[in-house]
Amino acid sequence: MQAKLRVRRFDPESGDGVHYQSYVLEVPDYATVLDILLQIREELDDSLALRCSCCSAICGSCAMRINGQARLACKTKARDLAADGEEILVEPVGNMGVIKDLVADMDSFWQKARAVEPWLQPDGPPPEREYLVPHEVMRALTDVVACIMCGACVSDCTVLETELGLGKPPDQTFLGPAALAKAYRYVGDPRDAADANRLAALSRLEGIWDCTRCNFCVEVCPKGVAPMDQILALRRKAIERGYDEYLGARHTLEFEKTVRESSWL
Amino acid sequence: MKFAYWPGCSVPRQGTPELRITAAAVCDKLGIELEDLSLAPCTGSGILQARDLVYADTLNASTFAMAEDMGLPLMTICSTCQGVFSQAQKRLKEKPDYLAQINQTLEEQGMKYSGNVEVKHLLWVLVEDYGLGELKKAVVRSLTGLRVAPFYGCYLLRPSAALGFGEHPARRTCLESLIEALGADAVDFRGKTLCCGYPLVGVNDENSAAMVGTHTLEAKEKGADCMVTPCPLCHMNLDGVQPQAGEQRNTRINMPVLHLTQLIGLALGIDPPDLGFDRHAVQVKSVLEKLGL
Amino acid sequence: MLSHDVLVIGAGLAGMRAALEARRKGVDVAVLTKVHPVRSHSTQAQGGINAALGEDDSWEKHAFDTVKGSDYLGDQDSIEIFCREAPGDIIELEHMGTVFSRREDGRIAQRPFGGAAFPRTCYIADITGQVLLHVLYEQLLQAGVRVYEEWFATSLIMEDGACRGALAMEIRSGQLQAFGAKVVIMATGGLGRVYEPSTNSLISTGDGQALAYRAGAGLMDMEFVQFHPTALRNGILVTEGARGEGAYLLNSKGERFMEKYAPKMMELASRDVVSRAEQTEIDEGRGVDGFILLDLRHLGREKILERLPQIHELALDIAGVDAIDEPIPIRPAMHYAMGGIKTDVHGASLLPGLYAAGECACVTVHGANRLGGNSLLETVVFGRRTGAAAAEYVDRVSPANVSEALVSHEGDRIKTILERPDGRDSVARIRMEMGQTMNQYVGMFRTEEGLQTAAAKLAELKERYKQVGVQDKSRVFNTSLLFHLELGNMLDLAEAIALAASHRRESRGAQFRRDFPQRDDEVWLKHIVIRYAPEGPGLDYSPVSITRWQPERRVY
Repeated sequence: MQAKLRVRRFDPESGDGVHYQSYVLEVPDYATVLDILLQIREELDDSLALRCSCCSAICGSCAMRINGQARLACKTKARDLAADGEEILVEPVGNMGVIKDLVADMDSFWQKARAVEPWLQPDGPPPEREYLVPHEVMRALTDVVACIMCGACVSDCTVLETELGLGKPPDQTFLGPAALAKAYRYVGDPRDAADANRLAALSRLEGIWDCTRCNFCVEVCPKGVAPMDQILALRRKAIERGYDEYLGARHTLEFEKTVRESSWL
Repeated sequence: MKFAYWPGCSVPRQGTPELRITAAAVCDKLGIELEDLSLAPCTGSGILQARDLVYADTLNASTFAMAEDMGLPLMTICSTCQGVFSQAQKRLKEKPDYLAQINQTLEEQGMKYSGNVEVKHLLWVLVEDYGLGELKKAVVRSLTGLRVAPFYGCYLLRPSAALGFGEHPARRTCLESLIEALGADAVDFRGKTLCCGYPLVGVNDENSAAMVGTHTLEAKEKGADCMVTPCPLCHMNLDGVQPQAGEQRNTRINMPVLHLTQLIGLALGIDPPDLGFDRHAVQVKSVLEKLGL
Repeated sequence: MLSHDVLVIGAGLAGMRAALEARRKGVDVAVLTKVHPVRSHSTQAQGGINAALGEDDSWEKHAFDTVKGSDYLGDQDSIEIFCREAPGDIIELEHMGTVFSRREDGRIAQRPFGGAAFPRTCYIADITGQVLLHVLYEQLLQAGVRVYEEWFATSLIMEDGACRGALAMEIRSGQLQAFGAKVVIMATGGLGRVYEPSTNSLISTGDGQALAYRAGAGLMDMEFVQFHPTALRNGILVTEGARGEGAYLLNSKGERFMEKYAPKMMELASRDVVSRAEQTEIDEGRGVDGFILLDLRHLGREKILERLPQIHELALDIAGVDAIDEPIPIRPAMHYAMGGIKTDVHGASLLPGLYAAGECACVTVHGANRLGGNSLLETVVFGRRTGAAAAEYVDRVSPANVSEALVSHEGDRIKTILERPDGRDSVARIRMEMGQTMNQYVGMFRTEEGLQTAAAKLAELKERYKQVGVQDKSRVFNTSLLFHLELGNMLDLAEAIALAASHRRESRGAQFRRDFPQRDDEVWLKHIVIRYAPEGPGLDYSPVSITRWQPERRVY
């Protein structure tokens, strides 16, 4: 089939600004957008810079905005987007700087992940053998650790887009869905004993209460992590543990009171 | 055509009473019968779910049970209600044990939810059940020349896995289809599927207002005469917060925002004074003038 | 010049485990990696990691299975250490936060795997590698280890026969830098892209092996290249865990044909046996459009979605098949290099100052064929040991003092590549021809004639490589330049593999020679070590360590 791609180009060395370049080429029917980009590199233009590695949706390198939505290029079949040969728009992920072409600057992304202290903080020395944990608990956490840190959720996060649009420096913006889902992975882990500190830190400005519940992160996540669901779970836990000072928490508690007063239950 | 009708909670009742009035009027004109479920509890709006998910699902299950008891499908007039209902239904459907657990609580009140109620927003009802062809026939005042920017509301679009988009792919563009069936032009703009910022009111007003500003200004830039939304919460932000949004950017936006039912009402020949425009923060005069009213 | 006591090249599981250990021992360690750590190929490992945790299991049984799996070429002293230390390393991984799947009693669950007489493969659904990689990365963050992210090592710095650091290019800027180090740990993973197709990521280009080789380190057991039995159309892996959970392999007649080849272990025989069996069925006309069918249907929807969710998704995406209702078409594809930089049980290579761990190293615990679940284990056991050994070595060596002239010399080399005129040849074409040649002549079934053909073709490709350039002349993020440098690494390794395969006149483990179909312990119970020389590689031998298990006939 014939594929038409329109790709956002930016070369910091050239002095030209951002521009869009179109490519037309014959590709196999089952080709993914990544397959096509690699074919473009091989046959037409090897200066097109992108990140990719595993080609099987597990390394997270190839997150890009394809037709305006963040996806993994290796998991996006061209024929699903362009059954009649329409042009496919390919751009780097949103809400991040661009180093070159489709290569995003993920520094602020990694910095936010680090900010939630994403390592196990147990209380006291470990047992001689493994911690005993129910299978169901590990099973539930497996859905969250399925996150491959690809950045799709952050790319399309409404709050981040809004704040960056207001000119806020990246390190003063919303922690974002990836970092918060990662935080939940530890709050939800019975072996971790730092709940109190974590929930306190997450309940502050630009934390769990700053999510606008638009579900974009859930929609675009290629691994079914559903970051917003983890954010809601963190909210539940935060209130349960008494971290209810912050505006968002108070708002929620007032709402709950109203509902309980006017409902049958 | 008859539905168990969930008109929404106190928020739209107090904040946007024009929505209920026009919804009732539109359904009446179209011959859609509504059996009131106003005793049903609030859906939780996504907020309650952040406090106690089981409690919220129990409340929603009771609403489903009430509809089931009536033997009728359930209709909403709010994107958020629709989305919350759909997500609750999905959870209850995928985990029979969970449904059983919730039914135990319902049984104490003599209620039971078997898991089989259809829940649809009025917008979907019109496009899928009533049919746009039939709707066109009911139009007495075609909105020709009116450029309308659709604004869906997050909960009516995401997560798509819960909203039946697999079976009903047309739901992705149903608002545009309806606008066109009424004779108007649907304006394409990026913001149509984005978030209005309502959930951030009182939590982060700066962001909330910025979102309103972005979408209303974009619609304006794309030449829209007005916006239309099937969600009263979106309406409260896009309309109610629009003045602050303008101040934030040192400009006056003046983008009228209509409820879905007001737009339909205009096309069905209901007179403007009966459509509650006087309740809006942003005047709708320019729209009426364009339509020669 | 940037300088550290220990420089780890590669931030996959082995590299990060080594760095963590070195850090714990208190030395100044930094990691240099051409991709962000969580993008490393380790993330693709699906099925699990082995250890004799069970009460009815023992490290000796694990060791025997490994020795037998290796077709008796594994060094038994290394294997004993490997299997004895495994349980401790698994428990440590759990203590670090790994969310291992559990049994009813809350203990770490284990599944059966190929070549194992006892279920000892610990797992997290079918994303074991990814989870472990993220856990190690998070440990590295906590320890505050410096990571030079997206830097490509172009050559090792040698002084008086000892390794004193590396030259590397910052991919973001194209700038070259000298890294002085008292000791370098190579942990760059496998070399799958030498073959086409392969289950490996695009980044598995054997850079570490090539750099070490050119610096004078010996490469051992290069002829032993594992073909994984179950890869999808485009080479993407379907975990052995599927067979571990009970999946069947069927030919076009619907037969579980493994009965003919491995009557006792059936689908869970060792990988070389299964891969050759599949290829034989296909070659003899009992394939389905050139594939074999992997049937999961009888496992049921719940088990598939809980234990094997990733492969369910991959089968849908790539083969268009819902594994709950239909069998998955698969075929063998090149997967793992048993061979690599020869090291001792502490990770020390034949060059002072150069250590190696993980797939790029050859200790060897895998011998002529690796068992599933042992590769992930190797990364942590030998990653840890190597990190500790390197940390100790630091005290015995003076700080590196690297001449800046090396940087400008390397810069000239790269400039030459960038300035080559465009021709009709291309890096991509040379790589594809190399990959197809290797797959055809140095693959699962080899003959002397085929190996000579391969050698001649590789020699031709090396000549073409000397002339080929890149179109992209930029400095910032020039992935074409990277591919060019990687191709140079791969060609050297391809040559070594073909040479060793030709030299070994027997069949053992993953090497099957149609002209020498029997195993010959009398002559060939030894390792082939290849060392680089300007006039052509030199071959040497290294004895196999035998402690408890005398070689026997290997039947599954």
